[in-house]
Amino acid sequence: MVISGRVPLLLLAGVAAVVLRPSGSTVLLWLLAVTLFVATDLLLAPAPGAAGLDRKEPGTVRLGDPAESVVTVSNDGGRSLRLDVRDAWQPTAGASGNRHHVVVPAGERRVLRTSLRPWRRGDLRSYGVTVRAWGPLRLSAKQRTFDLPGTVRSLPPFDSRKHLPSRLAQLRELDGRAAVRVRGQGTEFDSLREYVRGDDVRSIDWRASARTPHVVVRTWQPERDRRVVLVLDTSRTAAGRVGGADGVPRLDAAMDAALLLAALASRAGDRVDFVAGDLKVRARLRASGARDIALRLQEAMADLEPMIAEADWDTLAGAVQGFGKQRALVVLLTPVEPAAVQQGLLPVLPALTRHHRVVLASVRDPELNRLAEARDSVDEVYDAAAAEQELRRREWTTGVLGRLGVHVVDADAERLPPALADHYLALKAQGLL
Amino acid sequence: MRRNRVWFMVGVGVVLALVIAVWAGSDEQRNATPLDPQNPDPDGAQALAQVLEDEGVDVTIVRSADALHDLEVDSRATVVVTSTDQLAPSTIRRLRDDTTGAEVVLVEPPHHVLAELDRRLEAGPADDETTGDCDDQRFDDLTITVDSARAYDTANGCFPSDGGFVLADGRDDASYLGAGQALTNDQVLRGDNAAVALRLLGSRDRLVWYVPTYDDALDDEAVSLWTFAPGWLAPSLWLTALAGVALILWRGRRLGRLASEPLPVVVRAVETTRSRGRMYRRSDDRGYAAGALRAAARHRIADHLRLGRGASAAEVVSAVARHLGRREEEIGALLSPTAPTPDSDPTLVRLAQELTQLMREVRRG
Repeated sequence: MVISGRVPLLLLAGVAAVVLRPSGSTVLLWLLAVTLFVATDLLLAPAPGAAGLDRKEPGTVRLGDPAESVVTVSNDGGRSLRLDVRDAWQPTAGASGNRHHVVVPAGERRVLRTSLRPWRRGDLRSYGVTVRAWGPLRLSAKQRTFDLPGTVRSLPPFDSRKHLPSRLAQLRELDGRAAVRVRGQGTEFDSLREYVRGDDVRSIDWRASARTPHVVVRTWQPERDRRVVLVLDTSRTAAGRVGGADGVPRLDAAMDAALLLAALASRAGDRVDFVAGDLKVRARLRASGARDIALRLQEAMADLEPMIAEADWDTLAGAVQGFGKQRALVVLLTPVEPAAVQQGLLPVLPALTRHHRVVLASVRDPELNRLAEARDSVDEVYDAAAAEQELRRREWTTGVLGRLGVHVVDADAERLPPALADHYLALKAQGLL
Repeated sequence: MRRNRVWFMVGVGVVLALVIAVWAGSDEQRNATPLDPQNPDPDGAQALAQVLEDEGVDVTIVRSADALHDLEVDSRATVVVTSTDQLAPSTIRRLRDDTTGAEVVLVEPPHHVLAELDRRLEAGPADDETTGDCDDQRFDDLTITVDSARAYDTANGCFPSDGGFVLADGRDDASYLGAGQALTNDQVLRGDNAAVALRLLGSRDRLVWYVPTYDDALDDEAVSLWTFAPGWLAPSLWLTALAGVALILWRGRRLGRLASEPLPVVVRAVETTRSRGRMYRRSDDRGYAAGALRAAARHRIADHLRLGRGASAAEVVSAVARHLGRREEEIGALLSPTAPTPDSDPTLVRLAQELTQLMREVRRG
């Protein structure tokens, strides 16, 4: 039950009656009359359930782009409905103007639009639709909240997209390069063409030259149809926020790096597989040769959140092996956190490196170096000592990983995506995939 | 210096004068109420009280109804009541109960007090000069001369004027004096005022001088704002309060419950490092902190000077000394793991800053 602002006004109007008949009983009589009116109105008010509710899913949007939540209110009964409707969403969905006052005549329907502007990544859910049905006097209403599920999926931002054109240009330069630098394991024969000055004489195809009046050289192209497996760690180490107060969580930076590498690899003709998890596998994606790999990957990553748990690398390595026996570039997106790496990752690494080329992409925290350099007070000096210790342990861990044949790409949040892409291109150029 | 002494003496003098004035003032009980026995002003009655005392009358000053009750007044006493306008119905009742048998003189009782004592009694203006003419022999041929007086229309009394008496006999040994000014310091010496006052108040061995105040009145005797409020005001306020409750109910009801946000876990990545630093700090482990800082500095310098990962501490120290052209002991005291650990926090801070400085020099030189 709900009362309206008219009830206190009606009670105040009783002052006139009291002036005419100044007595306590007048107050009681007036109160009784108002209560009677309110009760009658409440009895006459239609049930909120008389309004039929239907929702159209807002679908998927990029983070920060507007979306729209559409709720249709229909009235199948014989009486006109006077309603207040609130289409509630979780706060980060950015629902503005979600309270609607609407009159639905009998047998008609009305469409209520609430604009959404998500400002957090992930699946943002609606919080139920509350309907308030007013009585004919508009003194009181009946109210009920209906569970009307709805989700707007806000995709993780692909900020490193700006690095894609320059890396694609580098990729094209690799194509058709006729130099010995490219030759060797992992390169494929492309075509024959006429010798021009400057070509390596060692790439002259003598047999083909014998059949033509010209000297002919073989050209090579980087290998295609390699496999790239992205492994995104969503365990406790991914929850750390790097950078200053307005920094991003490591998970978001790692997602950005994964998106750039996936987009680049799919353009280079490689197949990209993706697995994310901590204690268990949270998301998995097989994207063989898809052109819109970045979008599909964004969809797959949208609802991932860091878990306060240690990553189970046995499970994750098993998921990697599950993608196939073919040799692949396995990119582990996890920070070089000494304790986590030593206890979780190191035991399973030999099994991975035996079959695959493994790269570890780690989001570095610039705050750590800042902490090691600030030495103005006693507190800062003790912090600096702890930071130096941490840096040394990291360096040692990186060394151990290197000896196991794992290349470590360690960079700040904004620098990691291009650094990882460059490493991929370097491997591609050397035919090491 | 001399001038200062003069000012000092002046200051001391002023303070002394103030202290004396306050002390002297506090000794003397003064009261500014008209007709008060301790009021030396023109409208007070201190002169009369003192003369009565000098004449051998035992004068007791009472300022509350409780004190009057404790006094146990009997028939050998006269009770004079001034400031009668401060008598409330309850205080009048107590006054009557506590003074049975005694002679009570009410000085200029106002209308509401008279109404309480005797409903039919009326007070009116009297002549400024009235001559005693009554049964009581004491006041024969005496004249009261005041600026203004009032007369009360009782059956008996002295000093008749305009159908009433300036000194009227009321019920139960009570009498009303309509010429209070005759008792004041200012006018007591006019005409026969002094004689009238002394004979009226000094006829018995004991004089109780009762100065009532409103403080003795009961709570419900006070006049409040409600007495003047119109009859519809209270019900209107009730209605307004009800409307306020309705307002709260109206605004307090939400349109659906609060929407909550499932928040992901995000912590600062350096938080563990910082808390480790705080732990070192709390345990005051300067040796450990200094060791870590020195090791890190050696490591960086070895990297910079390309000494290789396996370079020992001694090698690094001598390489730095050669690089910078400084003595080995000097560098060793900073870098060597066997160098003495700092014994206080400031020394540790200095060591840390010197290490930074050293690394900077190595990089520069």
